Amino acid sequence: MIGETRFDLIDRLIAEQQYLSAVERFAQKHEQTNLPLQAKYYRDLIPLTKPGKGQQYSFEVDLDRCTGCKACVSACHSLNGLEENETWRDVGLIVGEREGQAYQQNVTTACHHCLDPGCLEGCPVMAYQKESETGIVRHLDDQCIGCQYCTMKCPYDVPKYSERLGIVRKCDLCHDRLVAGEAPACVQACPHEAIRIRIVDQEEISRQATANGRMLPGAFDSNYTKPATRFVSKKAIPPNAEAANAHTLTLQPAHWPLLVMLVLTQTAVGIYTALTGMELLNLELVSRIKLPVAAFGFGFLNLGLAAAVLHLGRPLGAWRFFLGLRTSWMSREILAFGLCAGLSFLATMVAWLVPAFPGATPLMVAASITGLVAIFTSVMIYVDTRRQFWNPQLVLGKFYGTMLLLGTAGTATFTAWFGANSSARTMGTAALVIQTALFFWEMSGYHRDLRNRNRPNYQSAMTVARLLPWFVPVRAGLFLLVTLLLLASCFDYLGQSAAWNSVAFVALLASQFIERFVFFTAVIPLRMPGGI
Amino acid sequence: MAAPEPLRLENQALPPSSFLRARTGPLTEDLVREPGRFGLGQTPVRLVPDATTTMVCGFCSTGCGLSIHMKDGHAINLSPDSEYPVNLGMACPKGWEALTPLDAPDRATTPLLRNREGQLEPVDWERALFLFCERFKEIKARHGNESVAFLSTGQITTEEMAFLGALFKFGMGFIHCDSNTRQCMATAHVAYKQSFGFDAPPFTYADFEESDVLIFIGSNPCIAHPIMWQRVMRNPYHPEIVVVDPRRTETAMAATQHYPIRPKSDLTFLYGLANLLIQRDAVNRDFVLAHTTGFPEFARFVEDYPPEVVTLATGISAEQLYRFADTIAAGKRVSFWWTMGVNQGHESTRTAQAIINLALMTGNIGRPGTGANSITGQCNAMGSRLFANITSLIGGYDATRKEDRAKIASVLGFHESVIPQQPAMAYDEIVQAVDEGRIKGLWIIATNSSASWIHQRQFNEIIAKLDFLVVQDLYHTTATAERADLVLPAAGWGEKEGTFINSERRIGLVKKVHRAPGQALSDFHIFQLIAHYWGCSDKFKRWTSPEAVFHLLKDISRNQPCDITGIQDYRMLDEQGGVQWPFPEGIDRCEEQPDQKKKEESFSKERRLFEDGKFFTEDGRARFLFSLPREMPEKPDDEYPFLLLTGRGTSLQWHTNTRTEKSDVLRKLYPKQCYVEINPKDAERLAIRVNDVVSIASRRAEITATAFITPTVQPGQIFIPMHYAEVNKLTFPAFDQHSRQPSYKASAVNISGLAR
Repeated sequence: MIGETRFDLIDRLIAEQQYLSAVERFAQKHEQTNLPLQAKYYRDLIPLTKPGKGQQYSFEVDLDRCTGCKACVSACHSLNGLEENETWRDVGLIVGEREGQAYQQNVTTACHHCLDPGCLEGCPVMAYQKESETGIVRHLDDQCIGCQYCTMKCPYDVPKYSERLGIVRKCDLCHDRLVAGEAPACVQACPHEAIRIRIVDQEEISRQATANGRMLPGAFDSNYTKPATRFVSKKAIPPNAEAANAHTLTLQPAHWPLLVMLVLTQTAVGIYTALTGMELLNLELVSRIKLPVAAFGFGFLNLGLAAAVLHLGRPLGAWRFFLGLRTSWMSREILAFGLCAGLSFLATMVAWLVPAFPGATPLMVAASITGLVAIFTSVMIYVDTRRQFWNPQLVLGKFYGTMLLLGTAGTATFTAWFGANSSARTMGTAALVIQTALFFWEMSGYHRDLRNRNRPNYQSAMTVARLLPWFVPVRAGLFLLVTLLLLASCFDYLGQSAAWNSVAFVALLASQFIERFVFFTAVIPLRMPGGI
Repeated sequence: MAAPEPLRLENQALPPSSFLRARTGPLTEDLVREPGRFGLGQTPVRLVPDATTTMVCGFCSTGCGLSIHMKDGHAINLSPDSEYPVNLGMACPKGWEALTPLDAPDRATTPLLRNREGQLEPVDWERALFLFCERFKEIKARHGNESVAFLSTGQITTEEMAFLGALFKFGMGFIHCDSNTRQCMATAHVAYKQSFGFDAPPFTYADFEESDVLIFIGSNPCIAHPIMWQRVMRNPYHPEIVVVDPRRTETAMAATQHYPIRPKSDLTFLYGLANLLIQRDAVNRDFVLAHTTGFPEFARFVEDYPPEVVTLATGISAEQLYRFADTIAAGKRVSFWWTMGVNQGHESTRTAQAIINLALMTGNIGRPGTGANSITGQCNAMGSRLFANITSLIGGYDATRKEDRAKIASVLGFHESVIPQQPAMAYDEIVQAVDEGRIKGLWIIATNSSASWIHQRQFNEIIAKLDFLVVQDLYHTTATAERADLVLPAAGWGEKEGTFINSERRIGLVKKVHRAPGQALSDFHIFQLIAHYWGCSDKFKRWTSPEAVFHLLKDISRNQPCDITGIQDYRMLDEQGGVQWPFPEGIDRCEEQPDQKKKEESFSKERRLFEDGKFFTEDGRARFLFSLPREMPEKPDDEYPFLLLTGRGTSLQWHTNTRTEKSDVLRKLYPKQCYVEINPKDAERLAIRVNDVVSIASRRAEITATAFITPTVQPGQIFIPMHYAEVNKLTFPAFDQHSRQPSYKASAVNISGLAR
């Protein structure tokens, strides 16, 4: 340092700072060590043999040893090289009270490698496979198209979608570590030996699922997917115990492409059905307006289907959708809407190019019927997730309600444009009646849910009330506006019925988008107990 | 040496890829693992290292060994070291994520100076150092050597602490300095010093495994020290685990006995226990007679704490008190453990000593599985206590003693006159002196005082009065750095060499495995530069590298209780997995034991103090120290009827979260917003529901938090984790009179629901 100028010193120290010395300064200890050094800690936590016939691997969590440090989550993340914000494990908390004594229990959970995996059942492209030898539910990352339906189907919130990769990934029970006689990352890393791997009889998993109902307070009925994980404890969980997040209100993803797809496809099918109905009832001027109106319907349908494609992380693999037809409502939806689009295209083409050919009407009928079936598959996609807010009654009502409402209002608008005023008036009146019925049905349901804590959709209603407080006033406002506009149109106020109809239709579209936004965001997903 | 034989994978569960089902491909390969060498087991292919090296973690005082996975000399991943004697292959999530905060985008990469517009703007080191010296010299010239102070940390290496303390006092000629260890360990420091004659936590982590009774007082190791709890879980004797804590914590849940005493009634509670133990004749008379003084007075003193008095004060029934006393009496190897629940109190030193008294009177010290054991907070709190040159003279000496000053001066090659005899002000006294205009310049190093100091708003108003505030930190975004006139960019843990000393007195090594961003420099280098620019570098000619300073510290430690002259160098620390003090020269060779090899082995791995019953006091005897309990300074009343408790929230968060918030994984696992735990009875009475945003007001401030309703807190008490900066707006500034440690866990507040 002597004789060094100040600048030299700064530069020298900055250079020294940048020089990494750890490897050269210290001896390498394990250069020649190939066997895992951790083995001595986990040797007793993994089975020595492979599962036999009718058996599989499963996690066993000793709750009396889980203290909520969450080292398992970090270790899984680091040892498996996951994305910066990706985690395959989670730790929740259960809180309760017994005889005046507080109870709290942390719960570490990951994939349960179910006997009947919901993810596998819902996947349209068979990107899941339950390994026959080990029972591990594997996700085939290169097969995945990123539709994220498995994230809704899994009742334990296990598969996680990566925006960057465009696919879902999940716990694979460190299958290759097990093959090599190593413990999964979480088992290796739990300081308290709370997690171990067991070999269990699959019949026993079934039996336990039926006998015990749910694994833990807040978890979904095990009978659905028959999870293999076992939680053991010497302490009984008090009956009033509940998940720490049982009352936490959060907005779920809006799934914009799906939202747009649902509203637009339902509008399209509504228009076809209205048009077909008018034709079959021989209402005025149908033949003249049929073509343009059908074209509008066709446009809506394709816009909706295009939007749906935007929801896929990796759309290029979507052609494999038929692989899942046997179990997946998603596959069935793709097929049904595909058929519907094909038939309506044919019907429109025939009506346009060979108007004299009588085939157009049967094709139109066929397109409408496939459309109605396709909406049913849409309904089932959500119903099949078993989420309470997506129960059959509500989803059927909402989806077919949207179809009827926007179908009639849309037809009213487009027929009005082409001067078919009496058709427009009929459809407009129908839309008025349908809107009123739907609005009161939805609102009365919402208020009933909000008033009664014991109703299954109380929490969804609370989510709307607390986190989307604008929803009710905005929808009520739109309801009033549309009512006035449709009345104006029916009475041909100022002779501008087509204009009133058009504005009403746009307002109704907006209203239904808002409704569908709530449909996605206010749902309570099924999941394991979460934290504060 | 034969080439490593790859493990054979026989995974045939999945058939090969087909046209219809892609079982392989780039996405699948992204996660493929392969045998990892270096004893790591399988490793993702992307993260296969070409070397590994072990270093000690930089968060808490457990001091875990982390195996850093290196590629081309740079850290790419880490896993807990399977052979490090502290953590035995495990780590908490902070340890697993320790590298992530180093890559945060808000790292300070150049010095920053506040310009005329009040903005921090980059300047070069030359200008920063020039200004640093000019401003502080100016203040010194005008206001004297008491007018500049520093507030330091338990997070930098021992060598850096020593350099800072020596530079500031012996080089720059100032007096007053303190460290954030005042907020966590001052009490244990003072309690041990007064009771044992030296600040000497007596235990080794093996004691967790060897006790038949473990007593945790104001301690929640499940959350705050998960790797210590790991050792408890490995105890093969089915021990009684007793927890004394107002809250039913994770640790209380896992215990066999839980005593939810009223907050701050611990002194009365412990005196009551001592009284019962004397009554039941559970005193180890031989030990007390041979190795302690003051027991008869103590025995008379605790006669005033019969069960009925204790029950009234603590809320614990006589029956429960007897059960607790019986448990201690019946235990053969009873260990007492305390953490911040004790250290952060208005009479904390006496409380810690009440625990020490229980261990002494029952002879539970100096044997495996025993001890009155303070679990430390920060990774290098112990380094700070011994070598920071703040409260005691560097190396645990006393600056008022001439022979101590002479020794330090001779070892370091200074003139004795540079060593100030005047004691440094404590943290709270420094803050007060700033308020009163006696201190005009402040240098804050690696601590976030603006968030962590008690009665936060007042602190921030006070430091606004400073003429010059320098903050030296990893990040330019901490609440404190944002208030600085000058920010010095520091390299962090993993970007420099040095040592930490953990709770069991183990000296562990920190290595350079990550490149510091931009022009950030290690605190060590910054001190070198300041010495140079201040013009006192001739005093620090031998302070050329951390290891050179380590050798100086060894010389300083000679013949002290913390003698480490037997440690050869950093390589020895690396090879041994850290070494516990004391480790005097020749110690592992002169022990005469039948099984010499075995003795040496275990000696170098695990050691406890006081096995011979000799303490570090002049007469070799431990002291029984006690005082009358005092009421907590701010009791709940009609206006502020609730008592606010604070503490660690999760294992994911560290202190004011400046580092832990930088990891996506950690951030995902802890509650984002400040929350408050409320008992269901109180919540019902106040019509507060889960997740309601509630307002919490003290006499000092009002904050909002999300309500979490849980019976783990008692009625009349609420709990807010310390990691959310706003909580210290509420805390009441009370201090223990011996240790000057703030009492963070007792403030009167009111709570009310907000309009939904």
